[in-house]
Amino acid sequence: MRRPGRLSLVDIILWALRIAIVVGVALGSWATLSAGRLTGAAWGDLIIGGIALGSVYALIALGYTLVYGVLLMINFAHGDVFMFGALTGFFVADALAEAGFLDANPIIGMAIVLAVAALSSMIVAIVLERVAYRPLRRAPRLVPLITAIGASLFIANSVRGLYGEQVKAYPTLEIFAGKLNIFGLEILKTRAIVIVAAVILMLTLYWFVERTKTGRAMRAISEDKDTAALMGINVDRTISTTFAIGGLLAGAAGVLYAIVFTQVHWFMGFVPGIKAFTAAVLGGVGNIIGAMLGGLSLGVLESVAPFLLLSGFGVPSPNQLRDVIAFSVLVLVLIFRPYGLLGRPESR
Amino acid sequence: MAGSGSIWRRALIVGLIAGVVVLYLTTVGIVLAFAERSFLTGVTSMGRLILAIPPLAAGFVVGSRSGSVGARLAAGLLAGAVSGAILALSLLFASAVDIRGVLIRVSAPLIAFVAWDQEAVTGATINLALAAGLGLAGAGLRVLPPRFRVPLMAAVIGVVIMSLLERFLRPRLTELDFTDVARFLYQGGGLTIPAAVLTFVVVAIGAVAWSPVKAGARRSLAGADPGQRSTIRAVLIVLAIATVLYLPEVVGSFFSQVLVSVGLYVLLGLGLNIVVGYAGLLDLGYVAFFAVGSYLTALLTSPLSSLGFGWPFWLALPVVILGAAITGLLIGAPVLRLRGDYLAIVTLGFGEIARLLFLSDALKPWLGGTQGILGIPDLFGVPRIEVPILGVISGPELTYYPLVLFCILAIFVAHRLKYSRTGRAWNAMREDEDVAEATGISTINYKLLAFAMGAAVGCLGGAVFATHLESVFPGTFNILVSITVLSIVILGGMGSIPGVVLGSLALIGLPELLREFAEFKLLVYGGVLVLMMILRPEGLLPDRARQLELHEAEEETGPDSGPPLTAASAGTPIGHGESP
Amino acid sequence: MSSPFTAPSADDTVLDPGGERGILLEARAVTKRFEGLVANRDIDFDIPRHSIVSIIGPNGAGKTTFFNQLSGIFQPTSGSIVFDGVSLVGLAPHDIAELGIARTYQNIRLFSAMTVVANVMVGRHVRMKSQWFDAILGHPGERNEEELAHQRARELLEMVGVRRRYEDDLAKNLPYGDQRRLELARALASDPKLLLLDEPTAGMNPGETRQMTDLIARLRRELQLTILLIEHDMKVVMGISERITVLDYGEKIAEGTPAEIRANPRVIEAYLGKQAHA
Repeated sequence: MRRPGRLSLVDIILWALRIAIVVGVALGSWATLSAGRLTGAAWGDLIIGGIALGSVYALIALGYTLVYGVLLMINFAHGDVFMFGALTGFFVADALAEAGFLDANPIIGMAIVLAVAALSSMIVAIVLERVAYRPLRRAPRLVPLITAIGASLFIANSVRGLYGEQVKAYPTLEIFAGKLNIFGLEILKTRAIVIVAAVILMLTLYWFVERTKTGRAMRAISEDKDTAALMGINVDRTISTTFAIGGLLAGAAGVLYAIVFTQVHWFMGFVPGIKAFTAAVLGGVGNIIGAMLGGLSLGVLESVAPFLLLSGFGVPSPNQLRDVIAFSVLVLVLIFRPYGLLGRPESR
Repeated sequence: MAGSGSIWRRALIVGLIAGVVVLYLTTVGIVLAFAERSFLTGVTSMGRLILAIPPLAAGFVVGSRSGSVGARLAAGLLAGAVSGAILALSLLFASAVDIRGVLIRVSAPLIAFVAWDQEAVTGATINLALAAGLGLAGAGLRVLPPRFRVPLMAAVIGVVIMSLLERFLRPRLTELDFTDVARFLYQGGGLTIPAAVLTFVVVAIGAVAWSPVKAGARRSLAGADPGQRSTIRAVLIVLAIATVLYLPEVVGSFFSQVLVSVGLYVLLGLGLNIVVGYAGLLDLGYVAFFAVGSYLTALLTSPLSSLGFGWPFWLALPVVILGAAITGLLIGAPVLRLRGDYLAIVTLGFGEIARLLFLSDALKPWLGGTQGILGIPDLFGVPRIEVPILGVISGPELTYYPLVLFCILAIFVAHRLKYSRTGRAWNAMREDEDVAEATGISTINYKLLAFAMGAAVGCLGGAVFATHLESVFPGTFNILVSITVLSIVILGGMGSIPGVVLGSLALIGLPELLREFAEFKLLVYGGVLVLMMILRPEGLLPDRARQLELHEAEEETGPDSGPPLTAASAGTPIGHGESP
Repeated sequence: MSSPFTAPSADDTVLDPGGERGILLEARAVTKRFEGLVANRDIDFDIPRHSIVSIIGPNGAGKTTFFNQLSGIFQPTSGSIVFDGVSLVGLAPHDIAELGIARTYQNIRLFSAMTVVANVMVGRHVRMKSQWFDAILGHPGERNEEELAHQRARELLEMVGVRRRYEDDLAKNLPYGDQRRLELARALASDPKLLLLDEPTAGMNPGETRQMTDLIARLRRELQLTILLIEHDMKVVMGISERITVLDYGEKIAEGTPAEIRANPRVIEAYLGKQAHA
């Protein structure tokens, strides 16, 4: 590693990796497409499903990105904040369904479920920040991360103790069943609702961060915390607000996730949490638009890639490996482009 | 700001927190799990003890303020009362409203237990009064001068520990034909009153005698010359080794199994200690090395695997270690340039990818998919061996002794590295990577080295594990293993070798004694991580330097020391703190 | 940039790695750009062997950025840096350290949780050879090397004036002046040819400053060092430098002997700003 011209072992490994990926993707895609295993409609279905899933990821990713922007830390427990909303929402939905309210007034009913879920996630997020993260504001960077891991374990297992281990199923609504026909595409109603709701939430968030005083304060803190404090911004309160917003979004995402997947349980936060973080990094951590785009991209990638790439190689049960694809995206992005698609590399 | 008003407010807040804690312990299910376990035979159960601790602690905390004794006691009373009130109100609520649909633990048995098998109102009142009394007692404890308080607390803790040991001591004493002793100590699952009194007295006397004895020992040690000192050290080491060797004999066959688990995690902990503790690289995917070691061993030694070589363990071992080092390099190389948080997440990603691949149908022909690989032969290839001094070794001992050997080896290597040029380089790199690099340390090489060593140890652990279970299943190798090992290292102290041993004993060994806790093991791990980071980030047995490193850092402004190596977000300032 | 006091032109600097005199480090047209901010623009700079040279300039002039490129923490956006016949561009910092450049830092950057002796021994890292397997085996060669390094560390600490009793204390606990001296000892431990000192007397009172200045001069003499300083204290700069280079807004605006620089109107203006002073 003496002279710049000569390659090191590390460089060789990285280049081999790059080549392997490009070749793999190309070959797999070509094999699948030329074999014509799936129809256009099937691909469309996968893509729409990916978008729906991706919008959920995007909502969770926003929480990660906002917190990273102001605190430069990865809130590892954010996935469990998402889970808490989904579970709390379940109890409300279940109660409303039993009472017959949900079938009679589905829109209002689901809105209530959404609100409760979002609020309960928000509370967990605020408490989390106050108890676990605030005392460690000045600690070396590994310390808050380890704390976050501990908090994640704690929250997930507390829920397991409180609500029980069993998987719970959200009540299915008549009004959500079936498909819509938009521009000739057949879309499951559940997916359509999720996408619409998510977009509304994302737009609201964008407006909030760009137009309101608190949003400006958040952006100021993410640029320079100390100067922001000197300018009269209440740093503690703004950080709490940031966590609160992230929590709200995550809780809502929990309900939306449940609408599509129906089943919720105490450990459901782990994998979506990591995937949402992947989405945040993919878009460029700290970048709100990036989180949204990253989420959508990841959702689509995760849905389409197993079939596009892996079945091309004749891999059995490619769907099993969709998580592998998602995690691979995480690893690859962090290795090759840690500042994300919308970020710029730091010059050295 | 100090005034009579603030002590009451503090009492209220502390009491509130204690009340919430009590509520939490109840609704999460811990209280009920321990409700059946007897603490003192015929007197009370562990569940009651658990309910008693928060108000007691609340009183203790509140009683620390300076002020008149009366005020402090009263404040303790108040804190306890508040805590009790919360429980009481919740009890009334739960008996009136059936919330079992949501909080599944709040069942009739639990309510009955909390209410002392009385009517709700009576039970609530009892709890309120008791909690207030406990708060008072806690404050009283604080008010006592240390020379009374310390022996008292030590004695009580001693009694609790003695009671907890019932699970282990009673059957063991019976096995060793000390049935009378066992019956004296334990009845009906709990400690007998006479035994409790005895323990109390013994520990109290011990606590009082501890200081003078320790001072005396230190004095004579200081007076000894170097020759005598190294003799003493040698004797201590021999004693330690002898203890370790005879441990399986002492604890019996059941707990020998526990010893194997503890030993395995000690080994894993030592490996992760090099990566996290020495080099400062937070590896959340450490389980991947463990898995690779297990699978490689399985593939090479099991005749039923896809390779079917059927090699003996000791022949496969060098190949496994080599494979480990290569895996370490492959995982380490791409992630070298990443900063702390990102490194952690990437390694987590690797760990998960590994698990999913081991599990997948795609790789089933080679790795066995969900069914894993069976038929791994024992470490020595035979189920029993005759060994001098120790006699016949069989069962878990067959794994235990090689494990001890490997642990000692790992400790030796880690110790040697720590106090060498390599160890210094790691230290420097961990403290200030950019300056270390500029001082001539190739951080890339040293990071790779740390990964490779950690991988080697992890794979070694995996190899032993595979022969112990005689099979490997992909489900075993999940992130919880990584987190457990991390918790052990954190609890004991990052970079501390004795810490790893303590951590493993505490987090792996202790749950075996507290079987009721098994369900809540992960909860405890999570809580431990958070508490350790907030209260004592350097761990329980740190070396001096680490303690200062972690506490001093909190006083400095800003977490960054130098230009970050990757972009955090657009607009991260570059070149911190130095005028360009 | 038509100042009569610019550096000797390119033709009379000769790359003379083996020679007694000659230029140890030659930088040409060094430019460093950070996303729109040009921290160094087109800087030419020579350091003659065994000399003491200073870089001065107002805050934000680009001095430390230049330093950082010499030690490899930053890579120049363009330009060349040649040290003793070897190009530094593209080298990793640890390679540069191995070639013989060592430095201290503006805000002291010691390994604060390591002991004083350990800090210096880390400085010696590049001149030691033991690898991890040597450490594990613990053979006489390794032990000998450690012992020698330890001795050398003690010698250097004594040379810079850190009291013996601090040896096993944590670096964090040292008084400020001793911390600066420790950083110096750490830099010297690698037997460097070129020593970069970034504001070595920052935060010192006049007495300590004088001590440090004398120390620097003595080190140059006894260890045959070449020294490049960044300094704000003009007494130090004028007293010890053979040649001074002045930066402002990332550009070199003057170069010459202390007397020449003192009288240079551009320099005076740079420090006082555009405000007219009666």
